[in-house]
Amino acid sequence: MSLHEKARRGARPLQPAVQRPLAPLTVRPRGAPAAAPAPSRELWLAAHVPQLTPAADAAQEHAPESAPELLVRLALLAQRFTPKVSLVPPDGLLLEVKGSVRLYGGLAALYRRFRDDCSAAGARAHLALAPTALAALAGARSGRTFRVLEEARLIGALAPLPVTVLRWPAPLIERLQRVGVRTLGEVLRLPRAGFARRFGVQPLAALDRLVGRGADLRQSFRAPEQFCARHSFLYELESLDSIVRALGSLLAKLADFLRRRQCGITRLECRLTHAHAPATVCVLELVAPAANAQRLTALLSERMSGLALPEPVRAAELSCTELAPLEPQAGALWQPGEHGGGTCPESTDLIERLRVRLGAEAVYGLAIAASHRPEAASICAPIRPAGRARKSAVDSPPWGRLRRPLWLLESPEPLTESDGLPWRDGPLHLKSEPERIESGWWEAGGEAARDYYRAVDAQGVRLWIYREREPPHRWFLHGVFG
Amino acid sequence: MDVDPRLVPLLEHPAIWRGRSAARIGVVSTGFAALDAHLPGGGWPQVGLVELLVPRLGVGELYLLLPALARLTAQLPPRWCAFIGAPLPLNAPALAAHGVTLPQVLVARTAAPLWGCEQALRSGACAVVLSWIERVQPRALRRLQLAAERGRTLGVLFRALSLRTEREPSSAVLRLAVEPTAAGMRIHVIKSRGGLRGALDLPLDPGGEYS
Repeated sequence: MSLHEKARRGARPLQPAVQRPLAPLTVRPRGAPAAAPAPSRELWLAAHVPQLTPAADAAQEHAPESAPELLVRLALLAQRFTPKVSLVPPDGLLLEVKGSVRLYGGLAALYRRFRDDCSAAGARAHLALAPTALAALAGARSGRTFRVLEEARLIGALAPLPVTVLRWPAPLIERLQRVGVRTLGEVLRLPRAGFARRFGVQPLAALDRLVGRGADLRQSFRAPEQFCARHSFLYELESLDSIVRALGSLLAKLADFLRRRQCGITRLECRLTHAHAPATVCVLELVAPAANAQRLTALLSERMSGLALPEPVRAAELSCTELAPLEPQAGALWQPGEHGGGTCPESTDLIERLRVRLGAEAVYGLAIAASHRPEAASICAPIRPAGRARKSAVDSPPWGRLRRPLWLLESPEPLTESDGLPWRDGPLHLKSEPERIESGWWEAGGEAARDYYRAVDAQGVRLWIYREREPPHRWFLHGVFG
Repeated sequence: MDVDPRLVPLLEHPAIWRGRSAARIGVVSTGFAALDAHLPGGGWPQVGLVELLVPRLGVGELYLLLPALARLTAQLPPRWCAFIGAPLPLNAPALAAHGVTLPQVLVARTAAPLWGCEQALRSGACAVVLSWIERVQPRALRRLQLAAERGRTLGVLFRALSLRTEREPSSAVLRLAVEPTAAGMRIHVIKSRGGLRGALDLPLDPGGEYS
């Protein structure tokens, strides 16, 4: 099967946007089909959403993964008009609508319906029609009315648009403006050889795509997949054990679904429906993508063991909306954590078990923040299962080995006083010179002006206490040396 | 006692405990020479349960372990140092200043630490698990000891010192009672497989000149 046949039979991720006979005097880019028998001309509808345009770096190229949510929502809407939808992140959307015009009762009707759909989704979009994708996009970005249906009129319609609509890098635009080129018409009038020599081949290829002289390949948009399965039980189930067992078939289905896509999930939602009471929802959050039915079953049953069911359960529903690519386990030369070796499987397993039972925020790591205030210097960090992290500069505090207690109270505890000395089940003996900490005036309520002392109480417990520098000079307990 | 020379390598197996003979177990140095000399093998065992009985929180019991924690968190492959059910929030700068590798520290806040402690010991993902447990049945201690052996982990239990806890049977490898003194602390070895019993004084001053 030749490449062309393969491409025609479908399942092609990339669609050539322009297939028209080449003008006799132009230089054909290498690899373009030679005088392809153009089946039908294409018609592109472009939508530009100015509210998504990043303010500072308008010319920056974005990866398709980083498409904003609104754009994805619009793309899903657009799929009703045509299967050939592609995203131009961060703010553009392209639809090839030639084949759908008749179905929707004319171009004007289709155009209006798409515009209404966009405004219903909360996007103020500029729309434009053109025979090439890039021209439609340029027209939409220009903000003017741009509806060109015939190729013969295309160059004439493009000519008054500013060069900036092509989103070329800023230095290139600046150089063009320095030679007095401000509109697309002026760019298109420049001699090809000289243009390529001065500004590079890529801008020239972009111009060819703009006017339909070169093929424009675009990745078509695919709707994100999700899994949702429901199982109604034959009779109402009461014990969690039997519910977990009954969920087995759903979990097996989920594992099968994930295996076929080579994906894993990081969040699984389980809804248990009752006869009268509102449904019980149990959410499983995972540290790393998982696809294994046994593992998911074990974690789900652990998570459900803490659940109080108001009534017997009639039906169960499993759903997950986000799939993550699965990292297959492979034997590595390096041990986990060594020279960027993989992660230790037991360690993610342990974290997940603890999280599922104790709650996600009850399991955390520790990190140091660069702060002079003791309560701000120790922070809870999200835990990373990825072996050893690189030592950061703040791990070795720049202020050296100050004597800090191993335990720090969440909020300082006021101490009673007798004869001017602090008291806690007996007098406290101060064992050190004061260490003055005065910092944090920039934060509301975070200002600290304290003199810290090490002290020993009657039972021999080493404490870290401070006295306020402001009147009324109260004493506080702030930490305990281990 | 005369032993057949062919039997000697067999009897040196770490799983065989023969009375007072120094058990050949993997140890990690405590960082205190006097304490090392008192413990079987010359340090904390790398596998098994250690009970530290303390009269109150903050008599220096955690400082006793810090040099070992620094060594264990620096090992490769990296394994966690887990704090399960700690009574107060830990202060990260103090741990880092004593050489503990912070990215290896895992903290789990829980009111019932027994379950979390067993999971952490059994998983094999931790080098050391520190847990604060008020009341524990001898059977549960046995469970924890088995979990530690299975996960090849050092488990340290901090428990309140009382006459009752001191006398109750325990399946821990090592039981120590810690008492604060003016110069530092006194450590009573209550139980030790194959080591010496008795007491020793350590000139340890938590938060002071020696810490």
